[in-house]
Amino acid sequence: MAQSFSQLPEDLRLVKSAHVTYIQSLDSRKDEYDYWLTEHLRLNGLYWGLTSLHLLGQPDALPRAETIDFVLSCQHETGGFGAAPGHDAHMLSTVSAVQILAMVDAFDELETRGKGKAQVGQYISNLQNHETGTFAGDEWGEEDTRFLYGALNALSLLGLLELVDVDKAVQHVAACANFDGGYGVSPGAESHSGQIFTCVAALTIAGRQDLIDKERLGRWLSERQIAGGGLNGRPEKKEDVCYSWWVLSSLEMIGKTHWIDKDQLAAFILRCQDPERGGISDRPGDMVDVWHTVFGLAGLSLLKYPGLQPVDEVYCMPKSTTARVLGH
Amino acid sequence: MAAELKKELYGGGVGGEDGKLSTDPEWADVEPVVLQEPEGALAAIAYPDDYAEAMAYLRAVMQAKEHSPRCLRLTEHIIEMNPAHYTVWLYRAANVFALNLPILDEITWLNEVALQNLKNYQIWHHRHLLVENYHPLIASDPAAISAFAASERAFIAQMLSEDTKNYHVWSYRSYVVSKLGLFDDADELAAIEGLIDKDVRNNSAWSHRFFLVFSNPAYATPGAAATAYDAGVPAEVVDREIEYVTGKIRLAPQNQSGWNYLRGVMVKGGRKLASVEGFVSEFVIRLGEERSEGGKEGEGEEGEGEDVLSTHALDLLAEIYAEKGEKEKADLSLRRLGQKWDRIRVGYWEWRRKCLEVGA
Repeated sequence: MAQSFSQLPEDLRLVKSAHVTYIQSLDSRKDEYDYWLTEHLRLNGLYWGLTSLHLLGQPDALPRAETIDFVLSCQHETGGFGAAPGHDAHMLSTVSAVQILAMVDAFDELETRGKGKAQVGQYISNLQNHETGTFAGDEWGEEDTRFLYGALNALSLLGLLELVDVDKAVQHVAACANFDGGYGVSPGAESHSGQIFTCVAALTIAGRQDLIDKERLGRWLSERQIAGGGLNGRPEKKEDVCYSWWVLSSLEMIGKTHWIDKDQLAAFILRCQDPERGGISDRPGDMVDVWHTVFGLAGLSLLKYPGLQPVDEVYCMPKSTTARVLGH
Repeated sequence: MAAELKKELYGGGVGGEDGKLSTDPEWADVEPVVLQEPEGALAAIAYPDDYAEAMAYLRAVMQAKEHSPRCLRLTEHIIEMNPAHYTVWLYRAANVFALNLPILDEITWLNEVALQNLKNYQIWHHRHLLVENYHPLIASDPAAISAFAASERAFIAQMLSEDTKNYHVWSYRSYVVSKLGLFDDADELAAIEGLIDKDVRNNSAWSHRFFLVFSNPAYATPGAAATAYDAGVPAEVVDREIEYVTGKIRLAPQNQSGWNYLRGVMVKGGRKLASVEGFVSEFVIRLGEERSEGGKEGEGEEGEGEDVLSTHALDLLAEIYAEKGEKEKADLSLRRLGQKWDRIRVGYWEWRRKCLEVGA
């Protein structure tokens, strides 16, 4: 079970500098159709790109001052952040904003030039459903365990967890548990690796891992590895690099990463790289994108692949950031 | 259906003869709000002209808090170009409710949009809002509820025919079941059985069946954990489900979904795993034996003569042996899984073997 990765073929290695170039190039593709079509993910995209660069050990590859300017330009009076200037505030973009500011160590600028931490905390806590404990994504009330996790993630980084009813939130997550040990998007919904990550991470932040049936969940998660080394998100589905993060980080949080074959998973992720132009795709040979790039790199980091900064399995940010912000 | 929708509200489009809002007399009174971004801003966006123009008019009417048929048509125009723009959807919903439009008309329109945007999140949230607003109007009318349930089921079936495992569709389905109280609806269970007949490996369908059967408020204990025994579930329901799933497992012995379902049923029903030992053993032949029956002479290695039709069966058998205190047989089962039948998870099987030692 030694993690040497020496068994991997010679030509299968991480193309670090190509990945850095790829992420830097994303910002210069503004004229492309896809760029404005994904405008609703702009702040999230910046978080994915910046996290990738931090894990690659190149935190300064995007200009810090412009990064902070852009993030603050997305903030509303309510404290929430929209995905881009002119977009309504949303939980997911607000969480990305907090994570970006945490990574570039700019909470002080949020105080002096933005609306301040407390206002952000207020925005998030207003989205909690006081009956069920879960969180909405925006004032319109769409509910999803992604938003609940996002709320606990951002509030814990801001040191403002006491603004919400954590016990109620925990009860809601427990209600999303399924017979197979996994978790779904809402009570009664099918287990899904992405939702499992959000539920397990939320319970971890809340200090309530005792509610997890770790053996049953670990069994289900480890069954996600298929011949070829990749992980899928649900039974009988295809493998996909993003699950290298959702499944692996969940296994890591419950201490069961050794239940899968790490060498084979690392080899699968490496095969999904574009070795010339950088970036990582969902499966070998497909088009790369920043989303699969960050989760591929984060997966490799969790696997302790050499040359990457250690990633925090709960926050999907560099451990150095969470250590500084949370004081671990 | 769509043809009956009012042109003033649906499918009527916006823009003058050249398709531009700036030449459309209907929009002449609106001053578009163009987004100014600082020169060289990080992540600044260059839009195509049509989209930029439509967004500028959208900002104007949103700022003026206008709710009108033309606004509804403008949102349709923008959604056609960029269905992922959540702000447009929220504004559309605000128009629907402010104008007090018939919700079923909006749902009819939405069905078409949904079929063209299978992986989109916003269509589901929009639908959710519509149902939340429609339900109180029909809650006391069983005929209306059952008509609405039937039309939603038809729409869901159409969506699933495009992708039988679409996660949005399935989570919406469980929401509709709860909202409209369809746990005892025979058509719902029949629809799920049809999907399992078509593809016995459809985990989404199995998961939904579990929800229908074991979350039925007619007998399920409120708040009972999903992975715990529920004394409220009648024994005949447990028997029926064991019978159903074992039949389906025989069709595809290596299908995880069936085995996970069986385990779930055993837990809910508080049954001993050993009660299905006979069934499980069908899939594990001569475990650990050196030679197959009638095989060639000579010294074989351990397990050379064995056959395992399902690793999930062997896994369950190991638990059954452990439950009965037959530690050596349990250990052999787990060892063979790690050595031969499921090598990629050898770490897991070795951990299970260690647990046997501790448990002894």
